[in-house]
Amino acid sequence: MKAFHHYNARSIDQALSLIKDHDGQARFIAGGTDLLGVLKDDILPRYPLAIINIKTIPGLDEIEEKKDGTITIGALSKLAHVAGSPVIQKHLPALVEAAQAVATPEIRNMGTIGGNLCQDTRCWYYRYPHQMGGRIQCFRKGKGPCLALKGDNRYHSIAGGKGCVAVCPSDTAIALVALDARIVIIGPQGEREIPIMDFYTNMGTILKPDEILKTIIIPPVLAESKQIFLKFTLRKPIDFAVVSVASLIKEEDGMCTDVRIALGAVAPTPVRAYSAEDMLRGNSIDTALAEEAAQQAVKGFKPLSMNAYKIEITKTLIKRSLVQ
Amino acid sequence: MPKEYRFIGKPTPRKDALDIVTGRARYIDDLVLPRMLHGKVLRSPFPHAKIKMIQTDRAEAMKGIRAVLTHYNVPTWQTGIPRHVKVLDSKVRYVGDAVALVAAETEEIAKEALDLIEVEYEELPAVYDVEEAIRPNAPQLYEEFPGNLLPLDVPTFGPKTLSQVVLGDVEAGFQEADIIEEGVYSYENIPNPLPIEPPGVIAQWDGPKRLTVWSATQSASWHRFIMQSKMGFPDIRAIGTHCGGSFGSKNYAAQPLFYAAALAQVTNRPVKVYYSKEEHFGTFSLRLGSRFRGKVGMKKDGTLTAVSGTWFVDTGAFSDMAQAQVAVGCGEAQLMLRCPNWDLKTKLVCTNRSASGVIRGFGGQELEAALMPVVKKALAKPDIDPVQFIKKNYVKPGDGYFWREGNWWVSEGMDYSKAIEAGAAAFQWKDKWKGWFKPTAINGPKRIGVGVAAHGNADVGEDESEAYVRLNPDATATIHVSVAESGMGQRSSLCKMAAEVLQIPLEQVQITPVDSLVNPFDFGLVGSRGTYAVGSAVIEAAENARQKLFELAAPMLQASPESLDTEDGMVFIKGQTDTGIPWRRIIGIAQTCTGFGRFEPDYSKPNFLILFTEVEVDMETGKIDLLKVVAATDAGQIIDPPSLNGQIYGSLGSAGIDTAIFEESILDKKTGQILNINMMDYKWRTFSELPEFQNVILESGIRTHRYGAVGVGEIATSPGPSAVFMAVSNAIGKTFTDYPLTPDKILAAVGKKHGE
Repeated sequence: MKAFHHYNARSIDQALSLIKDHDGQARFIAGGTDLLGVLKDDILPRYPLAIINIKTIPGLDEIEEKKDGTITIGALSKLAHVAGSPVIQKHLPALVEAAQAVATPEIRNMGTIGGNLCQDTRCWYYRYPHQMGGRIQCFRKGKGPCLALKGDNRYHSIAGGKGCVAVCPSDTAIALVALDARIVIIGPQGEREIPIMDFYTNMGTILKPDEILKTIIIPPVLAESKQIFLKFTLRKPIDFAVVSVASLIKEEDGMCTDVRIALGAVAPTPVRAYSAEDMLRGNSIDTALAEEAAQQAVKGFKPLSMNAYKIEITKTLIKRSLVQ
Repeated sequence: MPKEYRFIGKPTPRKDALDIVTGRARYIDDLVLPRMLHGKVLRSPFPHAKIKMIQTDRAEAMKGIRAVLTHYNVPTWQTGIPRHVKVLDSKVRYVGDAVALVAAETEEIAKEALDLIEVEYEELPAVYDVEEAIRPNAPQLYEEFPGNLLPLDVPTFGPKTLSQVVLGDVEAGFQEADIIEEGVYSYENIPNPLPIEPPGVIAQWDGPKRLTVWSATQSASWHRFIMQSKMGFPDIRAIGTHCGGSFGSKNYAAQPLFYAAALAQVTNRPVKVYYSKEEHFGTFSLRLGSRFRGKVGMKKDGTLTAVSGTWFVDTGAFSDMAQAQVAVGCGEAQLMLRCPNWDLKTKLVCTNRSASGVIRGFGGQELEAALMPVVKKALAKPDIDPVQFIKKNYVKPGDGYFWREGNWWVSEGMDYSKAIEAGAAAFQWKDKWKGWFKPTAINGPKRIGVGVAAHGNADVGEDESEAYVRLNPDATATIHVSVAESGMGQRSSLCKMAAEVLQIPLEQVQITPVDSLVNPFDFGLVGSRGTYAVGSAVIEAAENARQKLFELAAPMLQASPESLDTEDGMVFIKGQTDTGIPWRRIIGIAQTCTGFGRFEPDYSKPNFLILFTEVEVDMETGKIDLLKVVAATDAGQIIDPPSLNGQIYGSLGSAGIDTAIFEESILDKKTGQILNINMMDYKWRTFSELPEFQNVILESGIRTHRYGAVGVGEIATSPGPSAVFMAVSNAIGKTFTDYPLTPDKILAAVGKKHGE
């Protein structure tokens, strides 16, 4: 790794002022499990001169349940902490599953939920280490075409992409989409709160280099709803999702009264399967309907040269999230 | 029944165990010499290109930089078979090929300097497919190897080195056959065995012809006896550090050694070249690519009548040891398939990707994985139980085979039928086997399947070994032998073998550090030769020393040497322990008593391992779960149970079983980059997903040395890929043409191709 200055921020204000002082040459760091990999492999053309540690800011790692049932999670909460929290375990089993599905115990003890939501893509062209003949320039890095389009795209998007077909790697994002979460961002212009779906773009997130993801807000969940998070990987631990699905289903008298299905690693952003949800709502979910809804969810998906199999896995995961 | 021994066959603590777990063991990364510099390599972005210009001024001017080398000013050393791999060349042949070397005061400075070297390339078209590479208009990697074909008539193992199997009359064989099956099967994952520790070398010149090399290697002495001839015969002293795993790949490290030695020469300072994990992944010793295109003939009862075809061997950008692997692979195929008629030809091809090198399995695994699917296809027609086939066709005492040096050998080893039966019983094969392409069980969308394969190698007695055993007056013994510790526990096992001869406590036997200046010749811990070949030399040296001790003691005890015995540092007349006198009185406190032992090659005792596997395949996602593995062998006599069990469990990882499931280097055949050169995207099995694993090890005794033991470690990985290939085929009722069996292939095979 190349040398850089390191600062421990004591407050959000200090963090924001430090980043401003470095005029685009600094990066925030929390758990660091993603950023250090990016720096060690030297994958980006620009290397930060300074790293500003925000773990040292007090109060950003708390999990709270409000009176109305809203749950807030400080972005600096470690993934292990999220997965082990009694409040989360009681109300948000899909998030527990998703947090638990990330990487390894070591990484869950270091990595934060905010970092999990903000992490950079795992596209292997984008991540190709500089020392092995030089980093790969690509559309996402602002130079040249996306190499995955014509290359080995077995793990890339099956639902298109504008210029770049890398997928959103976050597990917790998918659960949070199904949970209809909102997130709070703070920056030089103050705070703003947005739905989590609006956080993601084709090229990553809307978070600007001088902004910090502060809080995740989960509105009261549908009473007595069933929550499922499923993740397909080649190996049980460590791997990023090939496909993931989070479903939240509310049933009354055997009838689905509400449902939300979120798909992960199928597109550059998390995907809500709205049309599949519409098919399920108002009906009794059996295997046949689940299969039909799964088929509906992937309608219009366009696999790349090597990843049609992901469509099959997506359908399987949706079906299993609904009827198993 | 095996003989009862004091140490042999009993689990004893590894002599280096405490050092390893407490962090005292010193690996190459721990070793820092005074004035030592760090070397780094600038690597090519292109799979094939001419270097038109290199500008090094800016890098040389950087503070802390002590040398920058390019193809213009490196030594003219060459490695490869035949010699064709320069230290640096004016041409690059794979993404990651070395372009320039720098030596700096720190690793960080060295890395930064790499970015300051400017290179202009003239890109050339590249070729990645083994059969495309030999077509007339394919890009040519080397002028001296037209058609990208590397010569096979090189004397790797002498003038008759095996490069094909030609025997009997295949046409007659096919006429006799009831079933003829043909096909093309590819085992071209080019996996990396990935020992935890990347390769590393420190080189230091003490005068123009004296080079000292420290390295983390499995067979450190290769850095002397193999590398000397490639570097103009300097006197190389090869010293080994603790080695953090190897699986064959770190037998030696020719490129890092060249780089370190070249930089050390020009700077006149010690230089360390320690590869990063990325370099380890991207530039160091991949498995050979293997493709079999051919056919087999068989009678209805499973008697093989003919094997013919071409074995395409893809060695990547250069041949490090490929001809040796071809030779051993051809030998091993004959052990597995008893057949009177063979016409197996080989083509050894270079392509534009990081080179293949020595890896556990050494040609045999590669050939088996590509050849066995066609044999198994033939077995399916008359529905022959593969276990019966293995029992019938694995080489038996009295059967002959050509071995690597081209001579015809007749097995004087074991009939392994009992081990096959014991393994089958432990696995409950008879209950689980439902016939070809039939699942053992169906649980909703998941199907269970079983598969089996066997492997053997006559390398247990390959190459030469020498050892001294020195008896010291304080009733300790010192073994002088050039054996490194790369994880197999062989240094401890050799101490046990000597302790058993000398009947002194194991703690009183020490083994010299790995250092070619101190030790006699040993070929190294290659194949499974540690137990029989190295063991024989050590045992003979210990026996020889004991004999000398008895000769010294005989006059003192007024008895003949033959009538004497020794135990715990006392020599006495057999049956009369009260006559005992201590070693110190016999040897004298200012003297020592040294014995010598030597082993000469013997290829007549093949080892054997059969591997049963059970998998579960999810028909809706294509995921394979490895549920159960049973490995069965006959080791003759176990020397150290935990070490042997560990070797066999090692069929997982190290580019073994899991090359059928997910282990692969993913080469982008448009850009030449290997895309998954990190521990996340390169799939390797973790502790969380270990299958149930049972070893069945018989001890029938084999005529090797005084303990009747034979090594089996190396072959544990080899049957894995084809066994899993068969298990998955049986689970889903479909077969495949190439490895690994990733979800896309499974889903396509079961007809779920386009997500519709």
